[in-house]
Amino acid sequence: MFYKEWIKTRWALLLILIVTCGYVGYELLNYLRAIGAMGGAHIWIAMITKDEPMFVRHLQYIPMMAGIALACVQFFPEMYHKCLKLTLHLPCSHLRMMFEMLGFGLVALLVCFGLNYLILWLGMRPSLAPELYGKMLLVALPWYLAGFAAYLLSAWIILEGSWSRRIFNLVVMFLCLKVFYLSSFPGAYVPFLLCLVVFVLACILLPWISIDRFKKGIE
Amino acid sequence: MENVIECINLTHYYGKRKIYENLSFNVPKGRILGLLGKNGTGKTTTINLLSGYLQPRSGECRIFGQNVQTMDPALRRQVGLLVENHVQYQFMNIEQIEHFYAQFYPGQWRKEAYYELMKKLKVAPGQRISRMSNGQRSQVALGLLLAQNPELLILDDFSVGLDPGYRRLFVEYLRDWAHSEGKTVFLTSHIIQDLERLVDDCIIMDYGSILMQCPLGHINEGFHRFRSQLPERLSDVPAPLLGDKQFYHPALSLTGELELYSFLEKDEVERRLQAMNIPHGPLMMDNLDLEDAFIGLTGKY
Repeated sequence: MFYKEWIKTRWALLLILIVTCGYVGYELLNYLRAIGAMGGAHIWIAMITKDEPMFVRHLQYIPMMAGIALACVQFFPEMYHKCLKLTLHLPCSHLRMMFEMLGFGLVALLVCFGLNYLILWLGMRPSLAPELYGKMLLVALPWYLAGFAAYLLSAWIILEGSWSRRIFNLVVMFLCLKVFYLSSFPGAYVPFLLCLVVFVLACILLPWISIDRFKKGIE
Repeated sequence: MENVIECINLTHYYGKRKIYENLSFNVPKGRILGLLGKNGTGKTTTINLLSGYLQPRSGECRIFGQNVQTMDPALRRQVGLLVENHVQYQFMNIEQIEHFYAQFYPGQWRKEAYYELMKKLKVAPGQRISRMSNGQRSQVALGLLLAQNPELLILDDFSVGLDPGYRRLFVEYLRDWAHSEGKTVFLTSHIIQDLERLVDDCIIMDYGSILMQCPLGHINEGFHRFRSQLPERLSDVPAPLLGDKQFYHPALSLTGELELYSFLEKDEVERRLQAMNIPHGPLMMDNLDLEDAFIGLTGKY
């Protein structure tokens, strides 16, 4: 199953990796330019006193878009001419097949987002105190979790066969993703992070609803 | 004879529209069975029910004795499925798709059967399926089914979108494979001539029910069209003819000729016409091909 997902998504994954890492690189360049222009001490003071996500704010919607893009590339071909019938006809448990497909996407996003974090960490570590770059990485964490949630919720929508239900799912997705963007105040999500992680994990089950409806022929 | 497919009392509705009620049929092992019916009689619905992509309102479909809705996934190794329009993974090429499927059928996958057919296509091994013609895609799908080497093949409208050459290639390959290896095939096609070359038995569906299930020879040899010029021009078909269940779709042509279809012998048709007091000229009996027989059994409208 991983082989099929890899063939289907490899170029899109490369593009997603380039775009997300490109944005992270752009934020780092902004940060290094500010350090060069105003000096490290000024930046430290600004980061301590200002209650806003400096130098990562442009990343806000990037992981979410990456998640949606990957779900589209992975699941639209399955629904094209009902190709999903071929997948569900393979001699494997349907649940296992779904988890393998979603598992591939989640691991791909994890690698991509992990690389983003690594670049941020490597770029900021030489000139910032651990508390300061830790704060920035923590601010970006709900946005990256939104990327995983967007991927799973998009899969739920795309695999759904009925248009009216798709629209309903889309509204639910919009409302769910709003939760990840309620505040960009540094540390605002810290007490809530575990709940967001649990929510993302729970979303893994949603595409099963669409697959089950597909199997029943509900369109 | 052992049945590979058993459909028992199937009832299905789309919303409030009844497709059929209490439909039952079996497909015996080693037979090629074609499902014939006009548009909207439920051929694709039956294929979808059989392949488990539709849940009937009541009744059940069994394949190798197991309900398709709860079938052991491993049993799907023995069921080949051709989805309508020869759908395959468009993003793969000839080699990738073979490599992908081979992993799921260890011990039964026949790579050479697939590549033998691919050689005839004269396409590069790296050519993507999305860039192939309908005919080429049909051969890829057929090649994959032959490589899978299942005991049962279910084909949904295999001739759609194919030119005569590809249709003939598909039919001949499939027929030789099924007969030489004793495989069971259940299929639909809207091109009846293709079925005539391929199937051993047929099921003819009418709206809401099965009109008949029988060996093809039974129709070819026993079903005829009878024509007779009537001495006087009638505006309607005589009522007694319409009431006789042995006569299928009696009709009057524009020239006033009586036309009807029946499994009865010519003498028996003659006798019944006389018993009904229908004056008529000499009775002509025509042999029919499957398409004409299908029209005779189901009517033109």
